Amino acid sequence: MTALSTFDSARICADFPILSREVRPGVPLIYLDSAATSQKPASVIEAMNDYYRRSNANIHRGVHALAEEATALYEGARERVARFINACSTKEVIFTRNATEAINLVAYSWGRANVNAGDAIVITEMEHHSNLVPWQMLAAEKGATLEVIPVTDDGELDLSTFDDILQKRPKLVCLTHMSNVLGTINPVTDIAAKAHAAGALVLVDGAQSVPHLPVDVQTLGADFLAFSGHKMCGPTGIGVLWARQALLEDMPPFLGGGDMIRRVYLREFKANALPHKFEAGTPAIAEGVGLGAAVDYLTGTGMAAVHAHERQIIAYALERLEEVPGVTVYGPKAERKGGVAAFSLAGVHPHDIAQVLDRDGIAVRAGHHCAMPLHDRYQLPATARASFYLYNTMGEVDALIEGLYKVKKMFG
Amino acid sequence: MADRQEFIDLILDHYDHPRNRAAMVGADAVAHGGNPGCGDVVTMYLRLAAGDRLTAVTFEGEGCTISQAAASIVAEKAVGKTLSELAEMNVEWIVDQMGRDVVASRTRCAALALNTLKAAGERYRAARP
Repeated sequence: MTALSTFDSARICADFPILSREVRPGVPLIYLDSAATSQKPASVIEAMNDYYRRSNANIHRGVHALAEEATALYEGARERVARFINACSTKEVIFTRNATEAINLVAYSWGRANVNAGDAIVITEMEHHSNLVPWQMLAAEKGATLEVIPVTDDGELDLSTFDDILQKRPKLVCLTHMSNVLGTINPVTDIAAKAHAAGALVLVDGAQSVPHLPVDVQTLGADFLAFSGHKMCGPTGIGVLWARQALLEDMPPFLGGGDMIRRVYLREFKANALPHKFEAGTPAIAEGVGLGAAVDYLTGTGMAAVHAHERQIIAYALERLEEVPGVTVYGPKAERKGGVAAFSLAGVHPHDIAQVLDRDGIAVRAGHHCAMPLHDRYQLPATARASFYLYNTMGEVDALIEGLYKVKKMFG
Repeated sequence: MADRQEFIDLILDHYDHPRNRAAMVGADAVAHGGNPGCGDVVTMYLRLAAGDRLTAVTFEGEGCTISQAAASIVAEKAVGKTLSELAEMNVEWIVDQMGRDVVASRTRCAALALNTLKAAGERYRAARP
């Protein structure tokens, strides 16, 4: 495959210091939990380290050299992120703590100003709690209603009722670009076109998509896009809300405090210009710098190549998982999903699977993966989940399968 | 001190052949417990002599190996204890019973049955001041 000819797994693994460690003496790490958080390349760790060693100062205020340098580094990261998702302007890139905070920002700022009693907000059955709970809170506060797009047995959105839902003239349609459990990549552009035709805005949870596939906000169709730095080779504590500039201009500020103001009087304030209007207080500067380095890393590797690599891994992983007796994989076929495989093994609790695999250094997640309603849909208390990224290899899939046979032997 | 494999064997034995796994008719106290995060659930039943000493403990439940083996171990080991002694039994105790190395990362699963049984004991005491 042409994509793989430029994709050198050994070189990529060498970029991530943690991947060369042993979990226990003699047991190398096989990290299959990138949907929870990704590992970080040395360039990201060094960028943050250098920032603290050389450039640390508060941003946007001082006139001294370090303050200017720190500001340039932080705003440089914003420019990288804007280019990475093809935003029209850095004014559209709001730094938050993570995708969760980005979604909450929309729920509090846009939601409080635009959602009223009786209005409908659309969610889906496959959402992460972070794209459910803020809307439940807003709906409860405003007396709005939640309309739900269900999920099919095959793990895709069931859009058969979507036209009926749109008849209710919802204000907002909230959906994930890629499920963190099923791996399903949703047809966001088609859904957004329909939603827009019905007068609704569209918020997309990109926490699982932006790290793994090329995302272009000018063609995606979303009005709001939320994602986290730590799932895309960057540090924790920094995330992004992208939104169309006109929307952000009209939205009231979110948190109040320093940096988000142009002028403060004793009894009132004037809000700052975008993007600073939504960034109160000293931000996570080093983390922003780290995210900029992560974007450089991913851009250097090429998102199309990352996606192609993961498609190969997931196709192979599904093929191998399905040959293990008693394994059930949830979600659509490989060609319709990203690098996430949630599965169960008959008669063995997912926590037991994860613990036995851990003895061989294989890190998978077990639980509901912050998607309890989705697990209710399939009447599962929990699943085990292997999730892949650019640094994973076919050999690691083989190790997972070998590990599952060990689990079966132990509980057989 | 048992080694890691012996603890694993003990846990699997209790999981595959649970002791006292049954609903109890005429229990003096019953409590339900669960870890919503992972779907482990147990119901603990107890019977007392002279209003203080546990003469029978049974459980019903579903969940991972650790949670269900722990229920079986607790049901077995709690018999003969007084309610005060039961109240003194803690997470450290059950972790030691099951092997610290094996269950240290799973203490919520390991502690579920014990904490549920203690809740049943407290409920019994609270109803009879």
